[in-house]
Amino acid sequence: MSVRALWIISHEKGENVSVRFSRRFATVEHRAKSLAGSSYIAVPEENTVLQLLLTELGLSDSEKSYVALRDDCLHRQRSPAMELRVDGPGKGILWPVLAISQGPLILACLPLVDAPVEPRPPLASLLSVSQGLTLLAGLQTFLLGPGGKPDSEGLASRLAMLPAILLQVCPLGSPLDVPILGAPATPTVPIPAGNQKQPVWKTGLHRGRAVVNVALIETVRSMQYGNRSRQDLWDVYGTVTCKCEVEGVLPNVMVTLTLPPNGSPLQDILVHPCVTSLDSSILTASSVDNYDGSAFSGPYKFPFSPPLEPFRLCSYTSQVPVPPILGSYRLKEEENQLHVSVTLKLHESVKNSFEYCEAHLPFFNRDQMGVVDVKVSSGQLDVSKEKNLLIWALGQKFPKSREVTMEGKISFSGPTPGPTDSLCTELTAYIKLYFKVPDMTLSGCSVDQHSVQVYSSAKPRIVTSRELLSKEYFIWNSTGTAPVSSGQMML
Amino acid sequence: MMAVNWAERISAFSRSPSRFLSGTTAEAFLAELLRELRDDRATYSVKVLLLSPLCEHPALLCPSDSVGEETALELMSVFAQCPPKSVQFRCHLLLALTSVLVCTSCVSGRSRASQDFLDLLLQIAEDTIDLHGDGAARSVRATACDCLRELEACSPGLLSQRLELLGGLRQREASRIHQAYAALHTLVLRNAVYQLTQQTGAGAEHLKALLGGNTSVAWEAEQDCSLMNDKDSAILSSLILGPMGTVPTLQTGPDCKELRSVLSSLLEDSYLLTPLCQAALLHRLTEVVSMVPGVPPAVFRAQLLRLLGTSEVCLLHTTLLMKCAFTDSLFSAEDEAFILKRLVVLSQHPLLSTPEKLFYMDCILHFPENRPISCGDGDETLPVLLTPRLASALVPTVFNDSATMLARFNLLSLVYLEEGVEGEGEGEGSRGLAYLYEHLTSLLDIVQSGGSREIIVTFFRAAFLFLFYFCQVERYSSGLTEKLCKLYLCHTYLAPHLINLADQTQDRLTESSWAVELLKALQVVITKAPLAQLTLQDLSQHLKMLTRVAEEGEIPQTNTLNFLSSIITPSSSSLSGDWRLGNSLLGVCRRLLVHPSLDSLLLPLADILQHLTCHYGNTDIQDHARLYYTLLTTLSREKLAGVLAQGLTEGGRQVKKRSLSSIMAEGEGLTSMLTIHRVEKAIFRLIEAGCEPRGEPQTEKGSDLTLNETESSPGEANVVLETYRAQFEDPNFASEVILDYQLTHMEAIDPHFSQLFSVRLHFNLTDNHYEELSDISVPCLFRERQPPKVRLRLKPRRPYPTTLHASAIFTTQDGLSWHTVLPDIHVAFQQAFMSPPAPPAWGRGGKQCLFEGLWDEISSEGGLNDPADCATSLFCCQLKEAALIALVEKHFLPYLISDLSDEEEFKVLFFLPPLSHILLKIRTEEDAVHFNIATDNWQLLPHISSYLLTITRYRKMLMANCDASLLVFKKRS
Repeated sequence: MSVRALWIISHEKGENVSVRFSRRFATVEHRAKSLAGSSYIAVPEENTVLQLLLTELGLSDSEKSYVALRDDCLHRQRSPAMELRVDGPGKGILWPVLAISQGPLILACLPLVDAPVEPRPPLASLLSVSQGLTLLAGLQTFLLGPGGKPDSEGLASRLAMLPAILLQVCPLGSPLDVPILGAPATPTVPIPAGNQKQPVWKTGLHRGRAVVNVALIETVRSMQYGNRSRQDLWDVYGTVTCKCEVEGVLPNVMVTLTLPPNGSPLQDILVHPCVTSLDSSILTASSVDNYDGSAFSGPYKFPFSPPLEPFRLCSYTSQVPVPPILGSYRLKEEENQLHVSVTLKLHESVKNSFEYCEAHLPFFNRDQMGVVDVKVSSGQLDVSKEKNLLIWALGQKFPKSREVTMEGKISFSGPTPGPTDSLCTELTAYIKLYFKVPDMTLSGCSVDQHSVQVYSSAKPRIVTSRELLSKEYFIWNSTGTAPVSSGQMML
Repeated sequence: MMAVNWAERISAFSRSPSRFLSGTTAEAFLAELLRELRDDRATYSVKVLLLSPLCEHPALLCPSDSVGEETALELMSVFAQCPPKSVQFRCHLLLALTSVLVCTSCVSGRSRASQDFLDLLLQIAEDTIDLHGDGAARSVRATACDCLRELEACSPGLLSQRLELLGGLRQREASRIHQAYAALHTLVLRNAVYQLTQQTGAGAEHLKALLGGNTSVAWEAEQDCSLMNDKDSAILSSLILGPMGTVPTLQTGPDCKELRSVLSSLLEDSYLLTPLCQAALLHRLTEVVSMVPGVPPAVFRAQLLRLLGTSEVCLLHTTLLMKCAFTDSLFSAEDEAFILKRLVVLSQHPLLSTPEKLFYMDCILHFPENRPISCGDGDETLPVLLTPRLASALVPTVFNDSATMLARFNLLSLVYLEEGVEGEGEGEGSRGLAYLYEHLTSLLDIVQSGGSREIIVTFFRAAFLFLFYFCQVERYSSGLTEKLCKLYLCHTYLAPHLINLADQTQDRLTESSWAVELLKALQVVITKAPLAQLTLQDLSQHLKMLTRVAEEGEIPQTNTLNFLSSIITPSSSSLSGDWRLGNSLLGVCRRLLVHPSLDSLLLPLADILQHLTCHYGNTDIQDHARLYYTLLTTLSREKLAGVLAQGLTEGGRQVKKRSLSSIMAEGEGLTSMLTIHRVEKAIFRLIEAGCEPRGEPQTEKGSDLTLNETESSPGEANVVLETYRAQFEDPNFASEVILDYQLTHMEAIDPHFSQLFSVRLHFNLTDNHYEELSDISVPCLFRERQPPKVRLRLKPRRPYPTTLHASAIFTTQDGLSWHTVLPDIHVAFQQAFMSPPAPPAWGRGGKQCLFEGLWDEISSEGGLNDPADCATSLFCCQLKEAALIALVEKHFLPYLISDLSDEEEFKVLFFLPPLSHILLKIRTEEDAVHFNIATDNWQLLPHISSYLLTITRYRKMLMANCDASLLVFKKRS
């Protein structure tokens, strides 16, 4: 349950690669040696690891179209753990190397295999693997900083803090915790000594007025084909984020989610580790099950003792009967131009009050747009000729009819070729919708202000909010071949 | 000295310890680190940095247990003197100590320092009074617990005797660091129970005694020896290993009150720990409960719902491991179904990261079933409950990232394979298979429309998976062949991918002929395509492909030949004499020369070769073609095969082995021809040639030691020194150490290697104390002949002992070239000794003068030498007079300045290139023999003293009449 070594690598799209931080845990290495016996493979030096890692991640030799070591079809790229093939005197396979990568950062570690090494044990039998993943993810969140996109100075300063942080979270190779992000917003005091054991995940005590903030965000994804042979797909998932400023070492708070009568049950509920207990009925509904109508549909009670910083209390998925916006997209090739026809319908159950709503229509593998002769029934149209992109801003409201259309012709006669894409060839094209509706959820799920209970002396201020967000909301041209996104419905 | 930039040095060390240490020695670097750590002027932030080499590479810096022991003692005294305020530094010191002691096996050997350190840690852990109340002491305490836990982890059982103490400390601790105590307590408990299981007759009483701290029970005595036994690694290993693993058990009967109460108290507090620590704690407790059948697994029940609903990957993982350990004694059939569904949900959950999802998919394929059908030998198997319906949530889509898509593709393939895929359209299996094929096709379409490199690679991997599982399903495998051929014609740059796919399917699917079918089809599309639009690039890819096709004996090659002859006819002007292309052409021809159907290919192949010989616009290609032509037309089939076959029997595309006489053509062939083969075992070695004294270098050759003293007396001491030093103005003067070796065969080697030719020896330095050595050639090495002499000319920068890596390239009788590694050559300190390179005319008197001059200069403050480098020292040991004389005769004679008969005081002068001297005055005093040492390079002191120690110790053993030797250093700075 330990890691042998840790590496943090930065790169710019595969260029300027360098190891920014590395740590070897000598005592764990010592155990690795006695556990593996004659099959022991030592961790090579930094540069060697870097090269092997890049090859394994497919980032090496980017100018060559085929490199046997990197591109062999037998390669098990599908596992979360990689093999590094070490050459030279300490020849052998270093396994299981975990790596996660986001933006300019690659974080990797080598968990200890605390099991007989021959035959190779399954990953699932090594607790160090899931612990390694958690450690890497925690370090990644810390290093990327707020917003997830670090500037080079911010990154450098956070890298400089790593030795001190590792002393806390992983002093001798056994991960104990993940770095805590930033200081809590309100002043805290150290917890006075007492008989009550303190939760380790709480760094101090809140002093002052009790405030509980519960935000419910639902996200909807969709793939619409406008085609009888391909069923349209959509799904909804929600997250409940809490920020609790409550006094006491281990205060009790309860948040209750409720559904409207005959709302479909919340599924796949996952909870934060600070939730103290759960009713088994809450966990029963699953998106991969047949819904038999008899499932538990709330109220969903989550008793917990909050940490100081904001956290995700729980998440769920929900099956809603209709997508919020139903679209149809038809393209027709006419001589040197494209005839475009779009209809978007807002479902009646959705509140007609957006924070924003935009439809993006990109065109790939064509010359740049020339004449754009397109009319919209509502909203504004922006044309970006360089990007071959139409942006249709629908504003805050759909018209009364809850339906908007776009109709017209585009010629692609520009001087230079536009952007390319290997998926969207010929008439394969899509509209991507971006919208946000405040104060509503598709599932109907809500957190009532009065249902939030705080078991402490002072009466707390309670703030709740909810919103609906779109993500990966695609409407495919029904006259082209849309890529299949899921076979679930076919089977 | 302040200029040393430690941050840079430390980071250079951690980047590449081997390169860093080649510029210094581990010993010197360690000494530097320790000195700086003791230096009051250094800041604590720098000192924290200085500890990192010790934390990360303790074994490198402390190569022996004794060095580790000394280092640990040093660090502990640094700790003792460190003010309590420097919390970070104190914590890092504890970590460094732990690393040093564990990695030098001081802990497992129970050395003095490790006992002291253990006491120190326990003392810190027990000292719960926080004087300053600022939590500073608390951090150090937490670190001390972490160190104790690591010591226990590396030396299981170390703290078994303290179980009760640790349990008490854990319970009393209320601040956040109770986590550190809990982790420590749990691990010690687990190891202690494990040890009990290993003792025959241990039972409830022993367990109770252990938990109650009652160490008077008998097993204590056995404990120490049971620690270091061979089972060490078994106790380090996790006990939860699936159906194959066996857990040692402790028979206690149902009444384990004490253990139960410890467990429930640990579990009760588990909620307060971080998820990572909870996971570790639960895992350890799972191990404990599975070792003690007297405790029912139901103790975990209260935690289960919380764990099953968790969003934390490590907590759910722990739950899976618990299920693996306890199966249906803790998890019902409903629980099992629930957990599996949960895994499927998590494997595609929009809020989880890709590695987490991949991990959950891996967990599905190694699902711990309550009643496993197979014994689970680590291979991927499907859980019985995973129906196609359930798995359909994981169908791959083109929107997945590569790894996810391949993982899903693999999982679904297994699911459909299980369902049965034969038969048209019926059943879930064949419908699913249809979907997978369709998916593969959409990937292929993306590649066709110019997908990125990543998508190309992903497609070929998916294709391999598809074939791996379904190549027997004719309608899809032949459909795929057809599509691949079309794809290839549009994008000939995919040739290496296709060849790789053919190679791998042929290797892995030995029953299937799919690869051959694919190659056959590719041959057809290549040879039938119109030549008109053929670009040079396409052509070179085609030739690559046809070369691979020609490796298959089953594929008729007539089409290929027709194609070749049509592209070399004069009408196609594309061949302008390009060497590479010519080589590719010859590559195909070469394969054809060994094709089984050669007889029927003879005439057209000969035509092609002749055409190339006469008309190809490149002489090299013409020559090769002519050679092939000659071979083809003059040699019998068998001979031709013999000449060419060597490289092909290995499967062609593997590492190609060819003798020098083999003929090659293609570009890759050229390099493979030059390939030097590797011998894994050493074939020969260098051994030191007889220990004849290394006389003064060349300049001294022929000089006469008996030269008349008076006639050549060079005068005053300072004049002597001046004259002597003037010689060194030539930087090459006396700068080499010459070592003579013999090159001899190792015992018991393959007779194949008994006659070797053109041996070229190459030497690599392991540090930078010496200049690079040039290679040395030895014409031949025969086992039965006198071993050849090899003279190494070492040019020291610093005359320290060193090790040389040696390797050699040589040729065997059959003309193959080989590479071998020789055993390392160790150059001892004394091998660099030489007589001082005095001018030939001087004789003994001059040298005596030189000796006195140098001695005075070193002993006094002045002189030409940098006084900082000069040092004097005294080495004492007890030797009888006879022994001393024997010692001088044996070791010092060539360097003796005084007369051997002058037994009162021996004067010895060693010169060490390039510029160092060591002077000895050896005199028998009342109590012992005194070796007075003077040197103009103080860094040589440790080496000379260890040399003296060695030779005198040897004497001692011989004479058996000496006591301890005494060593005194007196460095002057």
